[in-house]
Amino acid sequence: MYQNQYSQQQRMSQPPSVLSTKDDAYLTDALSWELLAAKKAHSFASQCSDHQVKHQLEQLCQLHQQHYQTLLNHLSSNQQDYANQTHPHFHN
Amino acid sequence: MNNNRGSYSSYQQQRYGGSTSPSAPTIKNPSAHFDKGTEFNDRDRLNDMLATEKWLTDGFNVFVRETSHQDLYNDVLHVLTETHHACRDVFNLMFEKGWYSLHPENPSHIADHYQKFSGYESQFPTQGSGTYQTGAMYPPRDY
Repeated sequence: MYQNQYSQQQRMSQPPSVLSTKDDAYLTDALSWELLAAKKAHSFASQCSDHQVKHQLEQLCQLHQQHYQTLLNHLSSNQQDYANQTHPHFHN
Repeated sequence: MNNNRGSYSSYQQQRYGGSTSPSAPTIKNPSAHFDKGTEFNDRDRLNDMLATEKWLTDGFNVFVRETSHQDLYNDVLHVLTETHHACRDVFNLMFEKGWYSLHPENPSHIADHYQKFSGYESQFPTQGSGTYQTGAMYPPRDY
């Protein structure tokens, strides 16, 4: 079905902004890594006595939360909009 | 950030044994205080987090290589780069705290290796400097 759809279009120089099954699998894995890392950094920070170490761990917690959001975006609105427009048959 | 612990360059000069470089001082700051009991201490926490960041760079390295479209590639590469920076920050903090030491290689070994691998340049398939310059073929891209 995809094959038909894409072969009628112009030749593509790069893959379109569509998540592959592999992308989805890696994204969900990576989101779990980031959440775990953020939680661990936060938990460690709360147990620290050295202020510099505590601060560094809090920074890491923030970083991993940001990364989580960056990655989550790829499972969210834009991708869904694109899928809705391009592949209405996905949502029957 | 350095506050009262002295600068990076104030190495603790200490000799270490070994036949390779008997007089080379270990590169190390005086160790900052941490609990030395059986419990999980601040140094352990920082070490554990460094291991986590290292492990994450491995994961994201594979991820970025497998991404499909360009936007995803850009974002995952960005996450990978920032995770490398995070590793580096943790490493630097551990070094600053004196929880990480380095051993300089014997300069004569380095000189030997330079000689050896300079010689191998004669095996380059194309001779002369050519037009390639570092950074020219793959400059930072803004897709």
